[in-house]
Amino acid sequence: MQLPAQQVAVVEAATADEATSVDALAAATELPPETVTGAVFELEDEGLLAVSERVDETVALTEEGREYVTDGLPEVRLYEAALEAGADADPVSMGQVIGASGLEGGAVDIALSNYARKGYGAIDSGEITADPDADPDADAEATALEALADVDDAPVDSVDVDSETLESLERRGLLDRRESTVREATLTERAVTELMAGIETAETVGQVTPELLTSGEWEDVEFSEYNVEADAEQFDGGKVHILRQTSERVKDVLVGMGFQEMEGPHVDADFWINDCLFMPQDHPARTHWDRFALEQPTHIDELPADLVERVERAHKEGVGDDGEGYHSPWDEDFARALALRGHTTSLSTRYLSGEEIGDLEPPQRYFSVEKVYRNDTLDPTHLLEFFQIEGWVMAEDLSVRDLMGTFEEFYAQFGIEDIRFKPHYNPYTEPSFELFGTHPTTGELVEIGNSGIFREEMLEPLGVECDVMAWGLALERLLMLMYGFEDIRDIHGTLCDLELLRETEVTY
Amino acid sequence: MPTVDIDPDELRDLTGHDEKSDDELIDDLFGLGLEFEGRTEEGAFELEFAPDRLDRLSVEGVARSMRYQYGDARGTHVPSPNSPEWTIEVDDSVPDERPYVTGAVIRDVDLDEESLESLIQLQEKLHATMGRKRAKGAIGIHDLTMLKGTAATEGNPTIQYVGVEPDADRFVPLDSDAEMTPADVLEEHQTGQTYADLVSEYERYPAIYDSLGLFSFPPVINGRRTEVSTDSRDLFVEMTGTDQWTIDKMLNIVCYALSARGATIEEVTVEYPDSESANADSNGSRTQSGGRELVRPDLSMKTKTVAHGRIETILGIGLDPDEVIDLAERSGLEATKEENDDGDLVYEVTIPPYRVDVLHPLDVIDDLGRAYGFNDLEPRYPDIGTVGGRHERSRLERSVREQLVGLGFEDMLNFHMISEGENYDRLDITPGDDAYGAGEPATIKEPYSEDFTMLRTWVTPSLLMVLERNTHRSYPQNLAEIGFAAEVDERENTGVAEGRRVGAVLAHHEAGYEDAKARLQALARNFDVDLETPPTDHPTFISGRTAAVVIDGEEVGVIGEVHPKVLVEHDLEVPVSAFEFDLEALR
Repeated sequence: MQLPAQQVAVVEAATADEATSVDALAAATELPPETVTGAVFELEDEGLLAVSERVDETVALTEEGREYVTDGLPEVRLYEAALEAGADADPVSMGQVIGASGLEGGAVDIALSNYARKGYGAIDSGEITADPDADPDADAEATALEALADVDDAPVDSVDVDSETLESLERRGLLDRRESTVREATLTERAVTELMAGIETAETVGQVTPELLTSGEWEDVEFSEYNVEADAEQFDGGKVHILRQTSERVKDVLVGMGFQEMEGPHVDADFWINDCLFMPQDHPARTHWDRFALEQPTHIDELPADLVERVERAHKEGVGDDGEGYHSPWDEDFARALALRGHTTSLSTRYLSGEEIGDLEPPQRYFSVEKVYRNDTLDPTHLLEFFQIEGWVMAEDLSVRDLMGTFEEFYAQFGIEDIRFKPHYNPYTEPSFELFGTHPTTGELVEIGNSGIFREEMLEPLGVECDVMAWGLALERLLMLMYGFEDIRDIHGTLCDLELLRETEVTY
Repeated sequence: MPTVDIDPDELRDLTGHDEKSDDELIDDLFGLGLEFEGRTEEGAFELEFAPDRLDRLSVEGVARSMRYQYGDARGTHVPSPNSPEWTIEVDDSVPDERPYVTGAVIRDVDLDEESLESLIQLQEKLHATMGRKRAKGAIGIHDLTMLKGTAATEGNPTIQYVGVEPDADRFVPLDSDAEMTPADVLEEHQTGQTYADLVSEYERYPAIYDSLGLFSFPPVINGRRTEVSTDSRDLFVEMTGTDQWTIDKMLNIVCYALSARGATIEEVTVEYPDSESANADSNGSRTQSGGRELVRPDLSMKTKTVAHGRIETILGIGLDPDEVIDLAERSGLEATKEENDDGDLVYEVTIPPYRVDVLHPLDVIDDLGRAYGFNDLEPRYPDIGTVGGRHERSRLERSVREQLVGLGFEDMLNFHMISEGENYDRLDITPGDDAYGAGEPATIKEPYSEDFTMLRTWVTPSLLMVLERNTHRSYPQNLAEIGFAAEVDERENTGVAEGRRVGAVLAHHEAGYEDAKARLQALARNFDVDLETPPTDHPTFISGRTAAVVIDGEEVGVIGEVHPKVLVEHDLEVPVSAFEFDLEALR
């Protein structure tokens, strides 16, 4: 008959007269014990081996037990110190004896609790006496420790210690008992017969090799079987960051809706971030602590002079026949100050002004998904830097209905239906709306963006003569809504957890 | 967003709608853009308000808006004030920094605990918003009976707005029993300490006197003598500031609120001296308000001309002129139909004096839209054809990211803000070094914390931080980031050179230079650029195992095995090889 090589080796190592343990078979065949165990079971199935099992009980000293082998049992050390101090004659103060014994910490309690029990003496009102007749050399536990000192997982019946002492050592945590299953195999009669007839090694193949394929040998071999159900080792291939995936998704949607992408500086002059947006220079948001002003460098070199003039005029006098400006001062130096942009509307003002890619003729659609910076409190839903989705549409005569239609279309792509528009105030848009949507899983009404039609006081200085509607929202907000993340800091930033990123479901 | 506390019972009282439940009120308030945030301990509504409608900072103003919403009120309403008896005389000595004053007398107020509290809240909210924390405008409200005007001219009572030496006269400020000079107040009084910065640089401090002496130290604190209580029947309201328009508008809002409680408004004459300071309006506009003599409050109406066509294009619907006029009246405005010079239909819209937010005809259209109900408008997708597309840099970034992921890297997304310690020290480099990544930092003036003091100059430090925080996770940890980095560069208009970097680290037990180089080569091949790696020295990496990344003949980055001292600094127990270079190089 033919058998795989490991099984042949096991059959040859076993005998019919005597049961051989798996460990012994492993030693004889030089195969790993788990391979031998596997082979033994397969041979039992073939009817070539009879397998018996028994449970062996073994004992070994614990770490504490081994310590006492070297240092002596605490109660014995206490007794010896007590004798030294003369406690066999008169009671001695306990502190003195303990000090002399060198016992420390938990060992003191152990010594005290066993001292009297084992008849070494008595402890009363802080004093200790020693029984002169006690004999540490006759201490059964001490003797047993000696006997077990060199033994490691020895079968319990092979050690020279009575079972009572073993139990007391185990109670004291000085001894471990372990149970292990020993499998032993004996050749069956059928195996003996087969062996006499001759058992050959079957050609089983683990790996398909080039030689196997080119020689044509593959036609004659048997492939060894795998456990195809077992889990393989975890493999962590690369993956695009979940927030990047979401941002790509948003970009895809917007490009599909006819939007062109913008980009521009993260460090920018307040002029582009705020003044061009008709934000008064004394607006709380501009002096507010949530802005990240730069310490170095401090000011932009150049601003387009004619634009600066037009923006200043709009702030002071307003635009149009009936317009009026803000009743607050305007200072160019203040406008030149550099900060990390608090919104990507700074890109919109740069593009709308014609400074970025030349003058734009309607119709146009533009977007960006870029980082903005706010000096807000860092918590599970707020980061100091996050991605803002910014979009605007430029055309003649845009209405509030166009704005609503555009945003409904956009949010519907992310499963957010039933948008509600809450009339709102922004310094640079009128009318303005906060957008609310229903959370797809919780059903809660959540704010999902801010929108409006840019004011004429903003557009006219920029040289735009038609309507522009715009909106913005935080990408992280969309992500948290879509995937239910609870702490954005696990995802974004250097505190991120690799395991979470590895396990996060991909989006499409 | 700011909030205002409104007692629902008072709201029912002032609107005359006793039948409204709290929930109905909350719904109606949402319609006005006042969002219910919760309740105070006393059970009042905490409402978040949009900072344009400052006339709704008190229960009286909110009630007025609701009456328009309910249709109980229409058009504009202006209280008719009595002629002035009192005069505020502005002295030459008034500080140049705070030259403007305005005021009004309020007669026959009937203050109970609630209405007094509401008045105090209105004052505080106006300070916080329009008053820019009292810098631009500050309000003082006094019990008129405690004032004794000096009969300067024709027997009319007069008070003086003057500038005083910081330690000249003494008065007893509110919440104190001690007589103090203005300078003492700034030093010792709690409110004085809070607002000291507003005036401490002034040569002379602003002060208001009657014939008995100093009774108000604007914008800091009033004197105790004229403190308003529920027993007060007549009030004197004064406001000082850096701009006449602002304080006049704040005064109008206060007058309207008190008038809604049944009080009578009485005008006050403001006499400016014949000097330059009063005429030099800090805005450079509206010099007429800095004239010799003003009568306040100025409850005159403003008008805006609004084109019918513009209303229709903004709202996206066709409207009948009568409908427009009706919407205006329901918004507390009044509109009359006219024809402009071009023959187009326009409306002359009258705006009441408590409105501070109407800067442009568009603001009127917004009011009309709200009255119509924006949520009743049918959304439509605009019929505009445009071609969409990605920015070239963004397309490049995506392609490189795809290649990195294909090479087995986990894509990272780290913060752009970092600390000097993380960016330089822990990588053993010094700002201004010749080494890649050692550019001068763009630093933040008031950072959130010491962990975020600058923009990172390269991405490798962030990647090492991620490795440091994930030593309990399984290896290999091959991480890559295409990320923003910036450094000071005087050649740039903003003074900062910004760019994207391609950074990668390989961390596992056998990570070495060759692993990193193999992947870098793969990238170079995919983007068809010429890659060379001549040996170089960089303190972050092991000498002899470090090279410059030279792409198409230009040095754009660094590659090497991270130096053990940097690894140990980051508590890493595996070797790490890394490369970083400018994304632009693959373009």
